[in-house]
Parts: sequence; C-alpha cells; structure tokens
Amino acid sequence: MIAEYTWLIPFIPMMCFLIIGIIGKKTPEKGGYIAIAGALSAFIISAAVSYEYLTGDAFDAGEAITSEIEWFQIGTYTMHLGYYVDGLTCAMMLFSSFISTLIFIYSLGYMHDQGERKNRYYAEVSLFLTGMLGLIVSSNFLELFIFWEVMGLCSYLLIGFWSFRHHDGDAASANAASAAKKAFLVTRMGDVCLMGGLFILLNQFGSLDYTTMFATAELVAEADPDMLTLGLLLMFGGVIGKSAQFPLHDWLPDAMAGPTTVSSLIHAATMVKAGVYLVARAFPIYVMDGNVMLFVGIIGGVTAFIAATMALNNMNIKKVLAYSTISQLGYMILALGAGGYLWSLGYYELGALGFFAGCFHMINHAFFKALLFMGSGSVIHGTGTEDMRLMGGLFKKMKITATTMLFGCLAIAGIPIFSGFWSKDLVIDAAMAAFEHGTADGATWFIILWVLAVITAFMTAFYMFRMWFMTFMGEPRENAQHCHGESPKTMTMPLVILAIFALISGLFMFVGLADMLPLHEGMELVTLDGMEEGIELFKNPYTYLTLILAIVGIVIAYLMYVKKTINPGKFNKFGESWLYKALTKRWWFPDLYNQISWKLGYGVAKGVNYIDRQIVDGTVNGLSSAVVGGGDAISKVQTGHVQDYSSIVLLGVAVLSVVVLLIVAQLGGL
Amino acid sequence: MSMILSSLILIPLVGAIVALFMGGSRDKLAKYVAIAFSAVTLIVSSLLLFKIFGEFDELGESYEWISNNTFIMNYALEVDGLSILMVFLTSLLVVLVNVFSIDEHRENNNYFYALILAMEVGLMGVYLAADYFLFYIMWEVTLIPMYFMISWYGGPRRHYSAIKFFIYTHVASLVMLIGIFAIGYESVASGPVNYSFEAVKAGIAGTALETQSLIFALLFFGFMVKMPSVPFHTWLPDAHTEAPTEGSVLLAGVMLKMGSYGIIRFCIEALPDAAEHWQWLIIAIALVSIIYGAYGCIAQTDLKKMVAFSSISHMGMVMLGIGCLSDAGITFAVFQMFAHGLITAMLFMVCGMTGHKVGTREIPLLGGLAGRMPVYATFMMIAFMASLGLPGLVGFWGEFPVIMAFYEFILEEDVIWMLVFCMLSLMLTAGYYLWAMQRTLFGPETKKIDLSKAHDVGHFEFAALLVLAILVAFFGVWPDGALQFIDPYVDGLFGVI
Repeated sequence: MIAEYTWLIPFIPMMCFLIIGIIGKKTPEKGGYIAIAGALSAFIISAAVSYEYLTGDAFDAGEAITSEIEWFQIGTYTMHLGYYVDGLTCAMMLFSSFISTLIFIYSLGYMHDQGERKNRYYAEVSLFLTGMLGLIVSSNFLELFIFWEVMGLCSYLLIGFWSFRHHDGDAASANAASAAKKAFLVTRMGDVCLMGGLFILLNQFGSLDYTTMFATAELVAEADPDMLTLGLLLMFGGVIGKSAQFPLHDWLPDAMAGPTTVSSLIHAATMVKAGVYLVARAFPIYVMDGNVMLFVGIIGGVTAFIAATMALNNMNIKKVLAYSTISQLGYMILALGAGGYLWSLGYYELGALGFFAGCFHMINHAFFKALLFMGSGSVIHGTGTEDMRLMGGLFKKMKITATTMLFGCLAIAGIPIFSGFWSKDLVIDAAMAAFEHGTADGATWFIILWVLAVITAFMTAFYMFRMWFMTFMGEPRENAQHCHGESPKTMTMPLVILAIFALISGLFMFVGLADMLPLHEGMELVTLDGMEEGIELFKNPYTYLTLILAIVGIVIAYLMYVKKTINPGKFNKFGESWLYKALTKRWWFPDLYNQISWKLGYGVAKGVNYIDRQIVDGTVNGLSSAVVGGGDAISKVQTGHVQDYSSIVLLGVAVLSVVVLLIVAQLGGL
Repeated sequence: MSMILSSLILIPLVGAIVALFMGGSRDKLAKYVAIAFSAVTLIVSSLLLFKIFGEFDELGESYEWISNNTFIMNYALEVDGLSILMVFLTSLLVVLVNVFSIDEHRENNNYFYALILAMEVGLMGVYLAADYFLFYIMWEVTLIPMYFMISWYGGPRRHYSAIKFFIYTHVASLVMLIGIFAIGYESVASGPVNYSFEAVKAGIAGTALETQSLIFALLFFGFMVKMPSVPFHTWLPDAHTEAPTEGSVLLAGVMLKMGSYGIIRFCIEALPDAAEHWQWLIIAIALVSIIYGAYGCIAQTDLKKMVAFSSISHMGMVMLGIGCLSDAGITFAVFQMFAHGLITAMLFMVCGMTGHKVGTREIPLLGGLAGRMPVYATFMMIAFMASLGLPGLVGFWGEFPVIMAFYEFILEEDVIWMLVFCMLSLMLTAGYYLWAMQRTLFGPETKKIDLSKAHDVGHFEFAALLVLAILVAFFGVWPDGALQFIDPYVDGLFGVI
C-alpha cells in the first residue's frame, strides 16, 4: 500500500526546508538541487499514490482513502492529523508537485546570480511546497488551515525576498517590503474570516474531518441552516483573501515585487489555487446552501471582469499576468458557484459540470500560467526590465521563449485545441446553465455574470496578445537592443515542457480527468462524461461567440501594436480619459485600502495611545500625587531617592490596612 | 516526605547567596555560579516534569509553620498539572537568561545574578505554594528583586519605572492580602483559621454567594493588576522599557503568569460560584485588554514597549479563556500562559538585543537590518510570527481554541456578533507585527543611525534563542506535549465545579 506513505508528500519538502536551512550553504547551488530532489520525490510519490488509488477498489466505489491519528482535544472536540486521498487530491498534488519541480529547475538559471541568498530562496520555496502539498492531502479543515497559513508565511517571505539590499536600490527594497506586508495582511483578513468559519462549522458538525462532515452535511443543514450559511460565508472569506477575489484582490499585483519564479509558484502551482481548492473540497457542504453558492458565483464573475479591465492598459509585463491570474481565478470561482447553485436546485448533472469546469480550469491554468510567468521571467532575465515599452522585437533573439509564450497566450485566450479553450468554455457554459435553470433572482444574476464572463474572454485575448506583440514583435526598443539572446537551458527546458502541456492538458478531459472528479448525491455517484461534454462544446453556439470575440481581441491587439493602424492613444485620449486613469489607479482600490487601514489602524491606535498616556496613566499619577499630597510626587519619584518612595509605600500600606480591617469587620458582620 | 519541591526553592536560594559573594575580583564567577545553580534547578524541574520522582500528588510537602489560636500557617508545597508547566517554564527561562547574558558586560555582576536567582526563588514559591500565606510571602519575594533589577540595571528612566512597578503591584498585592484574610476568616465558623489551600477551599464552599463574590473581587483585583489588565496596565510598558533584557524576559515570561495562575488557583478553584457571578466582567476586561493592548502596540515606537503592549493583549487572551469557565477555555488559557511564556521570552530577548546591537530600539530610526544581521532578523521573524499566532507554532494553540471556547460561550448567550472582537484582534496583531518588521528589518538600510558597529547575534544569545525557537516549533506541532499535563488538572477542576 503506497497510499500509507501519503504523509511523505508534504514531509519530504519539509525535510528539504530544514536541510537547506541548516546546511544548504555548503551544498552546490546553495540547496537548489536538494529542493529539486524534494519536489521531484514528492511528485513521484504523488504519482504512485494516485496510480494506486485510481486503479484501486476505493476509487471505483467513489470512496476516499483516508487515515488519521488523534492529535489533541479542544474541549469535547477531537482534532486529527491525517491524509485524505480522492480524485481531487490526486489531481491537485500531481500538478502542484510537477509544476513546482519545473519551477525549481528553472530557478537554477533564473536565480543563478543571487549568491548567498539562493540558500534562503530554496529553503523558502521548499516550505512553500510543503504548505501546498500538506493542504492538499489534509484530512480535515484544521490541518488544511495550518498549511494554508504556512503558505501565507512563505508568500510573505518570498514576495519580500528582495525587501532588503535590492539590486535596484532602496526604493525597490522598500517596495518589496511593503508588498510583502500587504500580501500577508490582506490574505490574513481572509484567514481570520476562515478561522471564524471553522469555529462555526466545528460547533455545528462537532468535527472538522472531511469524512464526518461530508456524511452529516445534510443533517446539519436541516438542523440549523442559518448558522451553516454564516459559517460557509465566513469560510469563503478565506478564499476571497487567498485566491485574490474581489474585494481582497489587490495584494496580488503588488506581489509582483518578488522574484518571477515566486510569482510563478504563487500563481500556478500553489497559494492562489488553495482558495479554489478549498471551495472544491468543501463543495459537498457548500451545495447545502444555494444562496451561498450564488454569492460565490457573483464574487467570481465580478472578479474575473474587474481584473481583466485593469490588465488592459498596464505596461508591466508581470502585472498584466497578475491581473490575468485574478481574472482566471474569478472564472474558476464562478464555475464552482454556478455548479453548486445548480446542484442545490437539484440539477446534479449540471452541478457536476460546473464543479468540473472550475477544477479543470484550475489545472489548465496552472500549466499555462506557470509557462507565461516563466516566459516573462526569461524575458526579464534577458532585458533587465519589466516595462514592455522598453522591449519589442524580441522574437528574433529569444525564439524558444517567444514561441512557448505564444502557446501560453493561445491557451489563455481560449483558442481551440489549446487547453484554455476547453475549460473556459465549460465555465461559460456552466454560467449559462445556471441562468437557464436558476430561480428568478439567481437567473438574473447568472445572465449578468455570463455576459461579464464573455466580455472577459474578449478582454483576455486582447491584453494577452497586446503583451505578446509588445514584447516580441515590432522594433526592438531600448532594453531589447541590449538583450544577449536566449536564456540558459535550465530555463528554456521547463518552458518547452509546459508549452506542451498548455497545448494538450485540455485533452485530459477526454482521457478520464472527468472521471477522477466524481461527486456524491446520496449513495449515487455523479460523474461527467468528458468525451460527451467535449463534443457538446462544438454544438454550442455560444462557444463560437466567445471564440469569435477572442479572435477579434487578438486582431485588435495586432492592429494596435504591430500594424499600428489603430492608435491606442485615441481610445484613452492619450492617457487623459477618466477610464484610463481609473484603470491605472486600479479603480482606486489601493487608495481605499490605505485610507481604511490608516484610519482604522493607526488613527485609532493614536487615539488609544493618547488616552492611555494622558487619561489612564494620568489618573494614576494624579492619584498618587494626591495621596502623597505634595503634588510633585512624580518629580520626586524621578529624583531617585529611595526614602521618597518608601514614604509613598508606607502611606499606601497604612491606608490599605485600615481598609482591610474595615472590610474584614464588615464581612464578619460586626 | 520527599524534599523535591523544597529543593526547587532551596537550590536557587543557595545560588543567590553564593552569587552574592562573588563580588570584586571574582566578578566573572558570578554568572557561572548562576548558570550552575539554575541549571541544577532546571534538571530537577525537568525530572519532575517527566514524573521521574513519581506522580505529582505523591510529592506534596506540608509542615505547620506558625500555629496559634487564631490562625495556622503552613509551609506547604504541592505541584499539579497547572503549576508544573509554570515551574518548568520558570527554571527554563532563568537558565536561558543566564546563558543569554554571558557576553554582557555590566558592573556588579554578583548582585545582578543574585537578583535573578532570588526572583527564581520567589517564582518557584508562588507556583508551588499550597498555603495562602506562603503564596503571599513568595509573591512579595518576587516583587523586591524585580524592583532592584529595574532600578539598578535599568534604562534612563529606571527609577520612575521601578517605583511605578512597585507601587502598582504592591497596592494590588495588598488588596489581594485583604482577600486572603477574608477568605481565611470566612472559611471557618470558629476556631483557628487554617490557611492551607485545601482547608480554605473546603471551608469557603458553603458560604453565601455575596461573601464569595466580594472575596473574589478582592483577589481578582490583585491578580488582574499583575497580569496586567486594562485599565491597571500602565506600569507594564514603563517597567519593560526600562528593565534590562533579562529582567523583561522573566517579568513577561513568568511573572505576569502569577496573575493568571492566581486567578485560576484561587478565584476559579475555590470560588467557582462567584466566578460565574462575575463572568461577564471577566470577559469584558479580557476583551478590552485584547483590543486595547493591540491598538496600543500599533502606536508604539519603542520595540520593547510594543512587545509590552502585546503582552497585555495576549494575557487578555488568557483571561478570555478563563472567563469562558469551560473545560476548553481554561485548558487552553493555561496553554496560552505557557505558550506566551516561551514566545514573549524570545520577543524580549530579540527586542532587548536591538538596543545593544544597534544602539536604539526606536522603530522610526531603524530599517533594513535584515541585510546586516540575518540571524537576528530570522529570530525576530520567528518570534513575531509565533506571537501573531501562526499555525504550526505554539502561539496558535493558545489562540484558536480559546476563541473556539469563547465562541461556544457567546453562542450560548446568543451574542455571536462578539466574535468580531476576536477577529479584529487577530487582524491588529498581525498588523502591528508586520508593520514593525517592515520598518525594522526590511526596506532600505537606515541612515539615521550609525550601523557600522552593529553586529549580529552572539553565540550565547544564539543558543538561548535557538532553544526557545525549537520549543516554540515543537509545542506548535505537538501541543499535546503540554496539554497532557493540563488536561487532568482541568478535568479535576470541573469535577469540583
């Protein structure tokens, strides 16, 4: 039984973290090889466990393999440590460990010149991977939460990797320090909500173990639906923070201050996927409340749209990708929301469609977003800038990077055969289905969300190809002229592998991925027929609508940035229009956050401190001077003569002794 | 009767006397004497912890000390699941501060180490005492060395802070003394008052609720100032700002716990009905302390002062757990006492060190220290993360279950909106620590102060911090390591209630 060793999957990277932290400095590449070995072994074990599970009886019966030990007790509740392997776990751990391995290999090239810092880097990314894999194999929500927070810590450390002694100078390190803090605090806000949700769920279910909770979800939902709603909403707060959903999405673009490999790790293999995973994992509980699922869908759709708008005019290659991640995460959440909504209404097949679309898009996105980030890293490595205005014409110098990134762009834009096409259209399908079958309010919402999703598909194609054209086509500008050519093999090799996946991972749907993600309806298993859904896509007129819009988006980008027949300046009044300003200001979200945190945090703190010093402390000081009677007790106190103090103390003792006697007498009934 | 428990008091006492005579030319020896004696104490307390000497209830010692026709005072020592962790923590922290300060150069080393060991005597006495008067005496014993520690070895405003510390805690302990008189007096119908815990507990149980509530209030006031809770907390930030690092570590690490220990030992154990009577007051004080302390932190510019305010906030969490008056609440309140002891020791070591290493603890003057002092930065990060309740480190288990217990309480009372307070406090805690780290460790290296002489953590400081960091991680992963002692105690407690 290999599955018994599932605990090794997070444990090995954990050990790598410790080894690299303690002796990594003395090993070649400062622990780089150890980190790769750790990620690779995690992948191999994941593959073995998945193989065993998927070919075993448990899978056929639709059951999970799970095992746990008692950890400790909180009052009457028992906390467990254990693992839980089902199809979702397998899919998640496979792509997470696989992509992480590639990112670590890529890091050998990308981080090559970082000297002593590499040691810290490899230790931290190993811990990051521990967090993600631990979260995936957890058998209960408390364990999940712990790894969830470990990831939060690692993202803090890695986003702030250059927060001191930055190679670009002081401003850059200040920027990294502030971005890291922001990432931690904003996600923490979500985490605190998640914690609140866990309190409620633990109280309602009497346990946080998946097995127990899934089995009793219906009973609990009947017993106290309101509390369950509150618990699920709070839990979704954690997802909003971690998966950068509106309105807590703003940390992710700032997080670009970290090394590009870290962005790649956060966006593709770990961190932001954790939120989507949480909804997918808790899906059997979430579907107990259709309204919560509607809310989830709304958040997802709105996020997808808003983030896409902000990517339209950004000049920073990494930020464009960051917004695209937020936008794609919105798609995933929208799909899960629509699926759960349909499920709660009793449309189990369609519910399964939404669920599958969300998970499927998460997996596809992992491949092509890792590819895009590492490609942008390769470009940044070559040109030394992140500003697309300084690039251009790089296709000739970086053929592999340019081609592989083109694959990524085609995938995310949703061009057929490429992976994004399949999953994105399923997402949009799910929203449509929710409109068609939803009740009054729900249907209205979902048609709006569907429209937003379709417009987002158009914008995605436009801004991704805008990025690609600005970077790789046209005349080489400033930094592009100094580019020395293609990046080293350690960097291009992972790009090529990922490009292949960006091309084919969509086809997994036809070879059993859908069977891997079954859902339970009572005793029945609901599984999607991947083959049928794939063919269905081509019969659906809306598929062609989004496809045409995506192609239009690409063509417009081409005309604007390669042919130059359309001047983008016309649309934004050369940067003067309010919309343009709104987008560059990110719809003023950062300003809003600053205002709120400054006023509610520091402002109140100043007040509290004033009260503390002047009133609370002042009263005491005033009292003591009144007791001593001189009015200058404090100044006496500060002179440092022991006699003065002793007189105060003696006086105090005397006064109190009288009080003692009085009270004792009182108590004695005298 | 075995003398194990007495030895925990006697060894440091002898050590303190020996260290005292290591003045003048033997100055350097004082620290080694202190380390040796505190190490032996630690060994004894560890053996006690691992039950090498036998079960806890077999180890009690009791002698009649003063006995006349009005009262009986006993020299009685006991150890149980509540006190053992505090005893262990005390002996551990004393060794660690001794090791931590090996490289420190100061005048009159002998007095300094004698004071530390004297403090250990008092602390051990407080946690082991099984008689109200012995407890009170030992309580006062801790007070005096700390007073001298601050006023002799403290910072520029040390005299003000020392006297403030003394007056506050002394007044509080006098009120507590009244409570002790009262509880003893009320516990007997006639005849001499026996001040042993057992006798008082048995005697007070049948008295009227009004009497119990009044006594509860007196005792509670004494303990709450020590914890300290808002609004009687202002002595703490001042004392910490001026106290030497070693003093701060012991003050925050184990001395504050005397307050919460006293509340559980006296107020909850002996006066459970009164505790229920005052429950909402306890909860209110706890919540105010948590939020107020957290906001206080944000406004501070001195690292040590910030950590001092964080102690107020975190001890508020202990109070909150106690206030729930439930199994989970009290169990994890005790756990939080232990966790906070480990974490805050680290915090004060790191923050105190800043003054020595860089020359100032003022946050606005610092910046970008991580580049120059990576080890220091790592420990600061571990300590801050542990303190803000990062899961996987010990602080989380002091917070999450306590809030869970609180949630169950407010659910019963139908006021679940009060969960917002806890969530706010968790947010604020993360906020001030992260902000402090951003301004001290990260960003551009400060140009406001001369960093040319700044140096990273020394070997001995490293050793002390490493031990704490390992324990913080160990109990974070395996909370049962501490809970196995607390659980039986709390079970027994609820058997009583």
